[in-house]
Amino acid sequence: MSVRHREWPVALALTPALILILAPFVWLVVSSFKTEAEIGQADPFTWPADLMWRNYLDAWQIGGFGELVGNSLINLIGVVALSLITCAPAGYALAKIRFPGREWLFYAFILGLTVPVQAIVIPLYQVLFGLNLVNTLAGIVLVQVSNGIPFGIFLMRSFFIGVPDDLIEAAKIDGASHLQILTKVFLPISTPAVQALVIISALSTWNDFFLPLIVLISPEVQTLPLGLVRFASTYASDYRLVFSGTVISFLPIILLYILMQRRFTEGLTQGAIKG
Amino acid sequence: MVIPETPGSKVVAPLRDAPAVAGHTGGLSVRMSKRRTTGAATSDSSAGDARTALWLMAPALGLYAVFTLLPIAATFWLSFNSSAGFNTSASFVGFDNYAKAAHDPIVWKSLVHTFLWLAYHVVMAGGLGLLLALAVSRLRITQVFFRTAFFLPHLVSLAVVGVIWANIYDPFFGLLNTALTRIGLGAFTQGWLSDPALVLFSVNIASSWQGFGLYMLLFIAGLQNIDRSLYDAAEVDGANAFQKLIYVTLPGLREVTTFVVSLAMINGLKGFATVFVMTNGGPFYQSELITTYIYRLAFQSQDHGLAAVLCILLSLLAITITIVFNRWRARLSQ
Amino acid sequence: MLKFLARSTALAAMIAASSLAHAETLKMWGPEQITEPLVAQLWNGIKADFEKANLGVTVEFMPPTGTISNGAVQAAIQSDAGPDVILTNSGIGRISVVKNAKQVMPLTEQYEKRGWKDQIYPWLYTELKGQFGGEIYEVPDGLDALGIWYHKDIFEQAGWKIPATWTEFEALLKSIGETGLQPIAIGPRTTGSAGHLFGNLLQSASGKEVIGKALRREIAWDDPSVAAGAVRLQKLVEAGDIKKEMAGLDLDGASRLWFNKRAAMFVAGPWFTANARKAGYDLANAGYAPMPSDIKGAAIPTGGVGWSWLVPVNSRQPELAMKWIDFMLSDAVMKKRAQDPASTMIYPREILGVEPPTPVLKDIFAAAAGGVGYNPSVYLPGPVLDTYFQVIQGLISGQIGGEDGMKQIQAKMAEAK
Repeated sequence: MSVRHREWPVALALTPALILILAPFVWLVVSSFKTEAEIGQADPFTWPADLMWRNYLDAWQIGGFGELVGNSLINLIGVVALSLITCAPAGYALAKIRFPGREWLFYAFILGLTVPVQAIVIPLYQVLFGLNLVNTLAGIVLVQVSNGIPFGIFLMRSFFIGVPDDLIEAAKIDGASHLQILTKVFLPISTPAVQALVIISALSTWNDFFLPLIVLISPEVQTLPLGLVRFASTYASDYRLVFSGTVISFLPIILLYILMQRRFTEGLTQGAIKG
Repeated sequence: MVIPETPGSKVVAPLRDAPAVAGHTGGLSVRMSKRRTTGAATSDSSAGDARTALWLMAPALGLYAVFTLLPIAATFWLSFNSSAGFNTSASFVGFDNYAKAAHDPIVWKSLVHTFLWLAYHVVMAGGLGLLLALAVSRLRITQVFFRTAFFLPHLVSLAVVGVIWANIYDPFFGLLNTALTRIGLGAFTQGWLSDPALVLFSVNIASSWQGFGLYMLLFIAGLQNIDRSLYDAAEVDGANAFQKLIYVTLPGLREVTTFVVSLAMINGLKGFATVFVMTNGGPFYQSELITTYIYRLAFQSQDHGLAAVLCILLSLLAITITIVFNRWRARLSQ
Repeated sequence: MLKFLARSTALAAMIAASSLAHAETLKMWGPEQITEPLVAQLWNGIKADFEKANLGVTVEFMPPTGTISNGAVQAAIQSDAGPDVILTNSGIGRISVVKNAKQVMPLTEQYEKRGWKDQIYPWLYTELKGQFGGEIYEVPDGLDALGIWYHKDIFEQAGWKIPATWTEFEALLKSIGETGLQPIAIGPRTTGSAGHLFGNLLQSASGKEVIGKALRREIAWDDPSVAAGAVRLQKLVEAGDIKKEMAGLDLDGASRLWFNKRAAMFVAGPWFTANARKAGYDLANAGYAPMPSDIKGAAIPTGGVGWSWLVPVNSRQPELAMKWIDFMLSDAVMKKRAQDPASTMIYPREILGVEPPTPVLKDIFAAAAGGVGYNPSVYLPGPVLDTYFQVIQGLISGQIGGEDGMKQIQAKMAEAK
């Protein structure tokens, strides 16, 4: 009873905060429907005379958003898949197999966790150049996965450490190899960790800007954030296109989030805590 | 579900309960899972174990060595050389680059700005996250709505956030100044991105607007973890809401707060996209961070030796922050 | 019947295969304003003509993602997607950056072999020869002429006109400010644009000779005779004739002010016609005049080489690139471009008998015919450019004074020896 009493005043008190925080979104969407002249009047409180859906059509076509979304999707799937393939076995090995040098290897991975990617960008670029991977989606996937390996290993290892050793002993008696133990015993019960890894690496890859800025030069391979920034600077005088283009760039993920809100939240908190 | 602790990292229960591990054993028979063995693995499997471990780690190790470890070493080497660009050869110059960096006023400026940036980020993004978490966690019916709504900015790429806020801050056409003028507060309009005293702060607001969502979620999880009985005990002692906050809530959040602060600092160090898109370090280097200066040196002026020195500086900062916070967290959990 | 069909199909296949075997692509970086429909039309026409004259060749335009100043050209040359020939903002400062990074080929031989040296203004050829000790790395495509763009209707209504002397100009700025209009719009975040205004102020205060000497390092940049222009900018900002808030704007943000008639004047060159067209501004209303000066003969536009052709060292089609440059330098193409409404600049040689289609371009060409001064952005050595542009930003945001700013520029000039 007393809980419900407290709810509405709090909700009311939060409303101004809600308005302020969501204001940029609202302004952006409303402005994206205005004509260039209406935007030029720069009055944030007027509504567009007509809903200019045309702005969205134009932005999509001129901005080549279809291609950008496609590239981002390929980027995302590549990173998530490769991250799982690399981090799950490695996390298992570090958590459950005793071998010489285990602690040192673990510290080596922690080093990657602390050093920001901006600090290694010059040689990184040269490595990619040497491997002929500059300006390719393959190149950026490899770099982003490598960047995420420390966190991914940390996450999987933390989770696997929490799994009782009994399961391993039991499986060994049954004659299972470590690989089989990993795939048949551990992975099926690792949904929270896998979910966390998938969501965190998916979100950070989709939104990544710095690495694509360095690696992806031509428009054909660029991803969404990079494409939008380039689009905004090229068409900076066409504000109706910049606004509608911006909305196009974040709308899919926001819709996805609202639909899968619970999984996102679980995944992110689990992941941040473990990592 | 409580997860056993690993050294150096205390774990807080997740936002939603995960099913207990013991109930899922895949295809193994129930009889097997009930058996316990004592002691470590048998000795003759340890050599085979090491080999298996290596194979399991090979993909991760391989990628990591080529794309992270190698560049880290190379950056170190590069800082002792002078190079004019990717196609030119490097010549060994010893500590010259370090001396150049020490005498470069922009290096010092960017260092100061980076510290300011970290401070702004922790206070604004962390602070906002805490405040909203305290409020939102009290809600029942509307909690999911508010939590979802407040999290939306976090889903937008920092670069896109930069584009949005650069438009909001436009002194003549942007949302902020035109809204202020319309509601009669025209006197408060500023050159948000042109005023040297305001620019770093303004850009950070955009970055914090994007960042606070995650911290809010972490604080909410932390709040859920505080023992209810402590509140009841305080109630019995006659504590009011404010006292409960100070004596029960905040202490209970100490763990999570440390974690959020360290996370915010590490994220702050990586700050690049918003500054790059909104001001490119300007005007006149007033919003230059270490990361943006690295980019400028490496890709515009093509002075790779000096850029490498800054990279080392950035890495040292990151490592120091991580070590300091790990020690602090270890001390807290005692 | 069947045999006939089979033979003709085989023949067709052979022809297709052979033309495929000869199919070559020339990737061209540029042109800058290809997103503007009129410009696109002109260049697609040029592309078609070249392809017709060189069967089996396809020309592909790579829309620029930036310039040499922001590293985009260097990044493109670095990458595997590298262009084969580049059209971009040039000038000795920018060219030296890519030359020092060994990213572009020397073209000196081609000037001799292919006769390019006779296809540009003689003074231009001499100037280029003198830049890198005889080696030339660019072929000029367009020259710039920077001056003040103003709205004819607003000026007529208020009875204003761009005066001949600086003192009168200061008075004009005051009168404009009183009506609530921004006297001058400037977007210093776009480095080139910052340089346009600043170069004009420098020349107006010191005259063409002095600026030329400063660029040749015969006078120091912090010498009062040279720093005068910087001090003028400082005073304009202090007086509120140029709002400090503009320090955060880029070219598009500032030109938006001008196109929406919230600013009276904007310093730009002939290329601004393309921007105007995109913004829907009526070009018949655009007026142009050089920046006034108290010094006799200094009220002329500033300029220099605006855009040039470069050939990357890793160009996959160096022969085709040279052919393309031949083509661009030919009379036919130059005339075609000069007569096109999308024409945006001054050509690197005299083109007789061609009237520019847009009235404001006529004004610009007329002003430039009397002589063009130096736009320092185009003449300063590479390492100095970044500081030069940052100082301008500092001046507009009120962070630095004119003399201090020029001291910093001079320090970099001395270093760059």
